Amino acid sequence: MGFVYTLRGMLRERAGRVFQTALARAVAPLAVVLIAGAIFNANGAFFTWETHRSMLREISVHGILACGMTVVILTGGIDLGVGSLLGLSAVGFAMLAMPMEVAAPLAIGAVLAGGAALGAVSGGFVARFRVQPFVVTLAMMVFGRGLAKLISGGQKITVYTSLSEVPDTTRELPAVMKAIDTKILGGNVSVVTVVFLACAGVTWVVLRRLRVGRYIYATGGSREAAELSGVPAGRTLVIAYALSGVMAAVAGICQAAQETHGDPETGFGYELDAIAMVVLGGTTLSGGRGGIGLTLLGALTMGMLQKILSLNAFQTAERMMLTGVILMVAVLFQRRLGSEGQR
Amino acid sequence: MRAVVHVRLGWVYEGIAMPMLHRRAFVSAFVALASLAALTSCSSGSSSGSKRKGHAGTPDDPFVIGMSQCNLGEPWRVQMNKDIKHAAAAYPNVKLVFKDAQNDSLAQRAHVEELVAQGIDLLIISPKEAAPLTQPVAEAFKKGIPVIVLDRAVQGEEYTVFIGADNKRIGREAGKWAVQALGGKGKIVELKGLMTSTPGQDRSSGFREGLDLATNKEIQVVFEADMQWLEPNARKEMASALATQSDIQLVYAHNDPGAHGAYLAAKEAGREGQMKFIGIDGLPHEGIRYVTQGILDATFLYPTGGQEAIDTAIKIFNGEKVEKKITLGTRIYTKENAAKGGEEIK
Repeated sequence: MGFVYTLRGMLRERAGRVFQTALARAVAPLAVVLIAGAIFNANGAFFTWETHRSMLREISVHGILACGMTVVILTGGIDLGVGSLLGLSAVGFAMLAMPMEVAAPLAIGAVLAGGAALGAVSGGFVARFRVQPFVVTLAMMVFGRGLAKLISGGQKITVYTSLSEVPDTTRELPAVMKAIDTKILGGNVSVVTVVFLACAGVTWVVLRRLRVGRYIYATGGSREAAELSGVPAGRTLVIAYALSGVMAAVAGICQAAQETHGDPETGFGYELDAIAMVVLGGTTLSGGRGGIGLTLLGALTMGMLQKILSLNAFQTAERMMLTGVILMVAVLFQRRLGSEGQR
Repeated sequence: MRAVVHVRLGWVYEGIAMPMLHRRAFVSAFVALASLAALTSCSSGSSSGSKRKGHAGTPDDPFVIGMSQCNLGEPWRVQMNKDIKHAAAAYPNVKLVFKDAQNDSLAQRAHVEELVAQGIDLLIISPKEAAPLTQPVAEAFKKGIPVIVLDRAVQGEEYTVFIGADNKRIGREAGKWAVQALGGKGKIVELKGLMTSTPGQDRSSGFREGLDLATNKEIQVVFEADMQWLEPNARKEMASALATQSDIQLVYAHNDPGAHGAYLAAKEAGREGQMKFIGIDGLPHEGIRYVTQGILDATFLYPTGGQEAIDTAIKIFNGEKVEKKITLGTRIYTKENAAKGGEEIK
């Protein structure tokens, strides 16, 4: 019996050591999902690059949101407004690029600026008036969706939408929208995936290479302690939410390009997918611990899981239940190993 | 009988976000939610409180028709309101009052009561759900206000007319068309709306009836998936269909955005030329456009009934007798006939 105990203890210690880093803990659920994919491979469809290419395209928009969400969650907050800001940006971009025929760089710049501004408003309320991020961004979620419906008149903005009553039947889809929804590198990678990786790169630089990154972790650890040690916590919060707003705008542009129109209803519920990706990666909702690398792994796990369920034609009800169970198990697993590893 | 798409992923709120937040945050969030709900439901409370007398129906004192819409989030319902407005423009002795319940049954109930209090002469309602709206509709009807129920039904008999389309029949027509277009042989992908919704179920079962797989043995449905009426989901599911099926001749989606999403996925795989795409709804700025652009091969109109509602309202004002139930037909739009306004299916 004693031997069994020692063996268990050894295994436990070994596992604790292997999963000591958060990164290793985030890889574990991904590995499990990959194995599941290899078993339920839908007649080999799981082993083709096309499947993974489209999986990477499908997670890109949610993943871009998750980049901004990571930063906000690291400050100890949450941004429920990103799904609506995505819809608003999609409509705004479609409006500028198609009926208003604004040049592409200008249209993109304007939408990004709009996203940053609305994000900063959220951040401002959190920082200045100390309203809970949940409440502030809930309000932004409702407001943003309303604004999207207002400027679009409740209709999708398509190539034919014109500023007058008469539809414009001559316009072609703008080159910028075509360019975003294509593949590069010999047709092996979707442009939106590259945009996603670029957003992750920017987030990494902000978190790991800039001073504001240290401020973000410090503010998330404890705002009071951070302020006492001279961290401008208020400004840091504004920057974090503004960054999340910019990411939502990028995601909105990608969404509009992929749908070939600006739909005021698009992005509904996406904030929850983004939160799920961040949490699955292992960034803690209490703030201060985690990072963008983890979110990338979380996004991959989520995307891979959805792809497997889709390839095997699971019904919606089963999919939702399975996703919920797997998410919960993965988070519990990380929590357990994480606390053991630190001891 | 349209679907409600606003039900996605609510589990994450309860599953993750809630326990992690402090209780205070949760309480204030709840208060904020409650006050938001209160704001939206109270925002249009302008009741006159006077007893219903009725209007003369002249251009100076026009008939007032109250239109209670359950949700303007869907383009199809925006179109319904547009159709009603357009149809009523022909009658200078009719005035319209619109309400949008934003997908909230209780808000819609309040709207009906407000409209009745305002002294409308006729109520058009496209209810969100049957059960919670049966009572308010019946009360309006008992007060002598004629009620036209559009698209989704209420329970019982206490209304004047029900006008609606037949999803099952539209699905059947789509199935028959598919058999013909395939020449009785081929593989089909079906992208379903929401299979927990009646329109999704009817559009699916009708389609299968139309396909008549028992007779047409060389037709096969090789892949089916829910796309929850959403274009990005349809594109995703179609990508899976393309990855697992090397041979697809036709895609049937339960709505036009779904068919468009499927087309985009096929185009990404370079296979859009190998298959036909058909959808349902036939909105002028959506499905019919896709058909004229050559993206879809056919779309079947799911009529809003806006024009018919106003025609019926005028008949009621003139004291003519109307039927208790009016079932709307459908039209098919293909590349050949879309410019001429499609073709009616009798």
